[in-house]
This record gives sequence, C-alpha cells and structure tokens, in this order.
Amino acid sequence: MRVKIWGARGSVPSPGPETVRYGGNTSCVQVTLDDGTIVVLDAGTGIRNLGLALDGDCPALHILLTHLHLDHIQGLMFFAPAFREQTEIVIWGPAAPEATLRDRIARYISAPLSPVEVRELPCDVSFRDTPEIEWEIGSARIRAASVTHRGPTLGYRITEGDTSLCYIPDHEPALGAPVDALEPEWISGFDLASDASLLIHDCQYADSEYPSHTGWGHSSMSDSLAFARRVAAQQVLLFHHDPMHTDDSLDAFFGSAIGHWSELGGDPSQIEMAVERRELELGSSGPVLSTAGA
Amino acid sequence: MATGQKPIELILARNLMASLSTPAFLVDEDGLLVFYNEAAGALLGKRFEEVGQMGPEEWGTAFGPFDDHGERIPFDQLPLTIALRKGRPAHAQFQIRSIDGSNHEIEVSAMPIVAGGGARGAMAIFWPIQQ
Repeated sequence: MRVKIWGARGSVPSPGPETVRYGGNTSCVQVTLDDGTIVVLDAGTGIRNLGLALDGDCPALHILLTHLHLDHIQGLMFFAPAFREQTEIVIWGPAAPEATLRDRIARYISAPLSPVEVRELPCDVSFRDTPEIEWEIGSARIRAASVTHRGPTLGYRITEGDTSLCYIPDHEPALGAPVDALEPEWISGFDLASDASLLIHDCQYADSEYPSHTGWGHSSMSDSLAFARRVAAQQVLLFHHDPMHTDDSLDAFFGSAIGHWSELGGDPSQIEMAVERRELELGSSGPVLSTAGA
Repeated sequence: MATGQKPIELILARNLMASLSTPAFLVDEDGLLVFYNEAAGALLGKRFEEVGQMGPEEWGTAFGPFDDHGERIPFDQLPLTIALRKGRPAHAQFQIRSIDGSNHEIEVSAMPIVAGGGARGAMAIFWPIQQ
C-alpha cells in the first residue's frame, strides 16, 4: 500500500510562513491499496488538496473517520469528489448513542455553518457505523478499536498481506496510568498497533506542555514514543502537530524525539515527523521506504 | 501480538480507579475481577498485584461478605452481581473480612459499565463505615 500525508496538523488549521514545511492542514491521510482502492483516513482540511489531486478519476472511495472533532471533518465540505455525481463515497465513523453518524456530520454540513446540506451533495454518499469486527475494503482488511480520547474515538488498522498501517491520530494512552508500566491488555490501542509496519500516532505535546493539557486527549512526546516502543511498531510517524508548533520548533521537537527514542532502545531511522505531502510505500517485508518529501 | 485487549471503557475505569483514594473494584462482562485499587487493597489486606484476577465465585466469597448476623450474603445479591446481571445500579451495606481476619463494615455502590456494543462490566465503590 501507498500512504500520503495530506494534513498532519492537530486541532485547527495553522497556515503561514512559520508552518510551511510541516504544513498547516489538519488530519488527512490517503492510503492507496494494492488493488487501487483509495481509503482516506480522516477528513481534516488536508482532504481538500487530496480531492483536487484525484482529478475526477476516482469513481469510489472510503473515508474512515476516527471521530467527529472539527479538525477531522472540516474538509468534507471542500472535498471535490463529493460534488461529482459519478463518485461513490462511503463514510465510516464511530457509532454514538444519541444520533446516527449521518445526523452528527450533518450538524456541520448544514445551516448556519454550511451553505449546503448533506442531502444536497451530488455524489452518492452513504454513512456507516464502523463495525467492531474486522471487515474488508478492496484488497485490505480493516480493523477499528476505541481508544482514549474525548468522546467516541477510533483508531484504525489496515492490513494488506504482511503489511499493516495503524492510524491513531488522537490518543492519550497514558491518561491516568503510565504506558511503560501497564500490562499490554490495559494499554489503549495496544492490539490495534501491535507490530504495525507503520504507526501514525498522536504526538501533539512536548513533555513540558503536557501537564497543562492532561485529559485533553493527546499524547506527550515521551508517552507517544513509549507507546510506539511497547507495541513494537516498525516505523513511526509522529502526527497531529500542535498548531502552536512552528517549523523551527518541530525541528527541535524531532531532535528531542530522536534522543528519547534512542534512550528507549529504538533505531533513530524508525521515526519521522509527519510532513504534509510526504509519501511512503509500505513493502510486504522489511522497512517502510520513504519515496518522496514535502 | 494479541493480548486479550480490554475494552476502552474498562481501561478508562481502571485508570480512574487507580487515581482514587476510595476503595474500588472492577469486573469485566464475564464477572471476572480484573482490578481493584490500592485503597481497596489496604482494606482487604492484599494488593491486587498479589491476588491477580479472580473468577466470580472466588471474589464473591474470598472476603465474605456477611450480613449483620454473620451470614454469608449470596453471590447473586451482591451489588456488583446485580449491576452486572441486571444492568442497573445497586447499593448495599455489609461486612467484609480482610486477609488478616478483621471485619469491616462497608457500604457498596455498584454500577454497570455499558457501551454501544453492550455490557462491558461493572464497577463498585466501597465506603468503610467507621465503627
């Protein structure tokens, strides 16, 4: 499978000269399966550029939403394929007791927040609660699990042959308990991420920032790296950058992450910062190969 | 590596309990005692790490509980059992016996843990009654 990052920012879009290298668009990752099926992970503002890149040649695609916070759905209204009659879009997301997935998304795609209603979208769109059991999309098997964040939130694992991508962009596995001391079955997201070829994981806060954000649903650098080590991910993309983190601060952040990862016994080549428009190819065996930069 | 991952609702409940100074118990949907916190350990005379997971019949009898007449309270009348089996909160007052043999009068409130997929387990908060 091929993976392309279209948005790696957390919380709110943060465009500007100080974020131009890592990018300011919010969460969106394109996964192109071996059979050509396109799976989109989250629909933050990054999905707008993905829609432009697809250029009308994509008759069907699946969007897997981890949760419905605005930074994960804001781009839906600006996703060009949604405005093409010939496109079939299936949107998957976490079930919630109070309303259907469609109705919850319609709170955003409706007046007064939007000039268009969901029912007016020209594409053939359907909404499905993400099942608790593994299912198939194209040539991949998909698995989802609830993870620690605010409100119903999922992580996803996409497996194709021996290759697996785990995506947990919003995650606070250390809330109330230290990740490095818990038994695996008590760590949020452990099974989902275990031995993943590539783990894309929340790393919003520096350790010094975390104490004032405990309970907000995101990870400190140390917790993110500890989680990645515990699950034995082969490659890790640190994701969901805080909007206050400029390119220069993220460079420094990455330097600290490399040092901490090494202290945990990891190979520095295993971790990267997620960068907008970064492309990766996940091989059937061995390490993930980076094929292009921002 | 499959671990028998606990549902997120139990993970969050355990993490909450671990932060409380009020004694608390956690059972999974099968009634297996999967955690109790340090405060409960102090009351019972053994830390959870020393005891480990217990089946329903085991934890239902390991520490009593006894009524005012010293009679053992049937398992299906315990608040945790009611919360788990009937899916509703339950409250009771009874005595438990610590590992050291001392009895403690306690009040217990239990509540079911139910998620979109159904019952996940139940949790109970203990309140020692000062004699």
